[in-house]
Amino acid sequence: MTAYLPIFIHLLLAVLLTAALLGAHALLGGRRPTVAKDEPYESGVWPIGSARERIPIRYYLIAMLFILFDIEAVFLYPWAVAFRDLGVVGLVEMLVFLGVLFVGFVYAWQRRALEWE
Amino acid sequence: MPPASDLALLVPELWLAALGLVLLGVDLFVGEQNKRTVGWVAVGGLLLALVPTWGLAGAVHRPGTTVFFGSYAVDGFAVFFKFLAIIATTLVILASMDYFRASGDRQGSTQRFEGEFYTLLVFTGLGLVLMAASADLILVALSIEFVSLTSYVLAAYLKGNPKSNEAGLKYFLFGAAASAVMFYGFSLLYGLTGSTSLYVIAEKVATVPAPALTVSLALMLAGFGFKISMVPFHQWTPDVYEGAPTPVAAFLSVGSKAAGFAVLLRVVAVAIAPSGLDYVTLIAGLSAVSMFVGNLLALPQRNIKRMLAYSSISHAGFILIGVAAFGGAFGNTGLLIYLFAYMFFTLGAFFIAALIEARLGSDDIPDYAGLSQRAPGLAFLMALFMLSLTGIPPTAGFFAKFYIFAAAIERSPALLWLVAVGVVNSVISLYYYVNVIRTMYLLPPQDPARIQEPAVLRTALWVTGAATLLLGLYPQPLITFARAAALLLP
Amino acid sequence: MELALFIPFAALALAGGLGVIASGRAIHSALSLLLVLSSLAVLYLLLGAQFIAVLQVIIYAGAIVVLFLFVIMLLHMATGEPAARGVRPWRAGATVAAALFFAALLSAVIRTRATADLGVAPAVGFGTAEAVGRTLFTRFLLPFELASVILLVGIIGAVVLAKGSLTLRVHAESRAADEAEEPREEALTR
Repeated sequence: MTAYLPIFIHLLLAVLLTAALLGAHALLGGRRPTVAKDEPYESGVWPIGSARERIPIRYYLIAMLFILFDIEAVFLYPWAVAFRDLGVVGLVEMLVFLGVLFVGFVYAWQRRALEWE
Repeated sequence: MPPASDLALLVPELWLAALGLVLLGVDLFVGEQNKRTVGWVAVGGLLLALVPTWGLAGAVHRPGTTVFFGSYAVDGFAVFFKFLAIIATTLVILASMDYFRASGDRQGSTQRFEGEFYTLLVFTGLGLVLMAASADLILVALSIEFVSLTSYVLAAYLKGNPKSNEAGLKYFLFGAAASAVMFYGFSLLYGLTGSTSLYVIAEKVATVPAPALTVSLALMLAGFGFKISMVPFHQWTPDVYEGAPTPVAAFLSVGSKAAGFAVLLRVVAVAIAPSGLDYVTLIAGLSAVSMFVGNLLALPQRNIKRMLAYSSISHAGFILIGVAAFGGAFGNTGLLIYLFAYMFFTLGAFFIAALIEARLGSDDIPDYAGLSQRAPGLAFLMALFMLSLTGIPPTAGFFAKFYIFAAAIERSPALLWLVAVGVVNSVISLYYYVNVIRTMYLLPPQDPARIQEPAVLRTALWVTGAATLLLGLYPQPLITFARAAALLLP
Repeated sequence: MELALFIPFAALALAGGLGVIASGRAIHSALSLLLVLSSLAVLYLLLGAQFIAVLQVIIYAGAIVVLFLFVIMLLHMATGEPAARGVRPWRAGATVAAALFFAALLSAVIRTRATADLGVAPAVGFGTAEAVGRTLFTRFLLPFELASVILLVGIIGAVVLAKGSLTLRVHAESRAADEAEEPREEALTR
């Protein structure tokens, strides 16, 4: 547990620093709002329309597939760390796991789920 | 690493998983017009899966046999549910082939994803097999989630149909909440005993304080109750059955329910019973409430699928009698016999509803008027299923109810009141089941045209009908089989 | 030390949980959920489950909340109706039920504390990625392999539900159109 002490100190410092900077800004900085300042920043382009647009369902499909393969990758990590102990048996186990997901990948690919159309 | 002999006991599961992967591949190569091929491959693969399962039935009878470090049971109880899951999946796929065509035509342009439908059904069948055999809380949790996940997708499968979307969403919201509550119960049980293996929990559970164990059991019952549509976790049932594709509703009311009962029974009988906690009274109370609520709400239904949904709730109550009575030497078989027989006549009733829906585009019971003239075979089968659902001899339903009541009487005199409630409810249910028969035989048809029966669906129907009648007339093989399977505790 | 960390982060998790259900805007709920999930990561760490704590941050606080935000943006927030408030008697009933459940839980915790053997320290190396790996690939091999099938079914489900019908058709048509165009190009070049 004590090994994490530096992380928590770091976390605490981050919170304190942010609070200090924002607090100092609120206390010391002036506020002179103008129309241009209150506009949302759009990388220099004039903002048009509402920001609350619906995004297409394509994003959902991509995000969902991303998460599924993300979780697959997560399982690789404990396997890689314990690989020497697990040996060939562990390799076979992981290959079965990856094989099943590879079928899923081929499926998604063939169903054009990876294409942006 | 488990020894190779462990893998040999897992052949049915490995076969089903491989079948699912193969189906996915076949689906990619088959043209849109020949998607039935995927269904036939699935049916063939499922029937072949019965072979290694049959091998297991001969080899493993010792109760409490587990493999993979105690996480997976290969006892007779598990084998029994493997048979049930595989048969139910096969019949549902057979029924889906014709239903899919008809409903797809009405949906028009929407992509049907027919091949994936069969694939998902096979994977659900695998999930049911895993649920019934899980002997470790982690595997129980994963297999229940697996079945739920495929079921959510299947319930929402008719994408162009708002009711199907509603069914999928409602099922998902209810299921996610029920699972979360159930996992909380699992985590409490794990925290109290320090193990996730049901058989290890059984050794330690006697030292657990009763209030904590009661809370854990109540939380777990929420999840199991959702799967078996037990009151008060039943509210999703009518809406989901009505909106989901009819074969999927049939599958939910038979497959998920049976596997849910298997998990409930294994957790309660193995892990909770040794604590001496009086779970029987709780289960008996839930059973009585489920029977009354299901039956009384079924009375005013006009839609056949909603009626069958409420009937499914009341049957959950009847089967819970078997859970309460579990443990007696004679009673152990009651629940298994009920679930097995229930599978056939419930699937049959849903299949006829699917056929009528596909032909007439209606789920309303009044539209069944004059069915005896428009399709005499169908009307006869439906009448048979309705009598069986009521529990009238010589059908399988009578025999199942007889066994479950006998189990309760034999188990304890304290359960006599529950048997009385069961008998009263059978009488109440007679009203709405016979109403369907009356509509079919006594009311004149609105349209005298004969109803076409698609060939594949007819096969599935005759199998369920023949089984309903045969199990009622000659139940001895099922009794022998269930008796060998019912031993659960070491 | 443990208590000094547990209390603030448990309080943050609770505050986030209340924020999820009390907030009127879905986006705010999702961000409150982020607070819950990251506070939980610290609680996992306190339990000695360091690998799970890291996963909690990467997967839940990272990927899943982002997915939630995507889904919220799929819906039309501007014209959407405000979330319906529950019917009054149901809300009252739910409150009573929740209170009863909380009382039961509290009594269970108090009774268990008196008898159970608490405060067992985890073994050395418990909760590291290596320890998780060793258990996962031996004792929990079956759940691990099942996870791959669950992920596969997730892929199928996502494609089936989210992939529109039109895209396939459009593709087929455009491909047919391409094939039809080819002779014309030949004619032009000639």
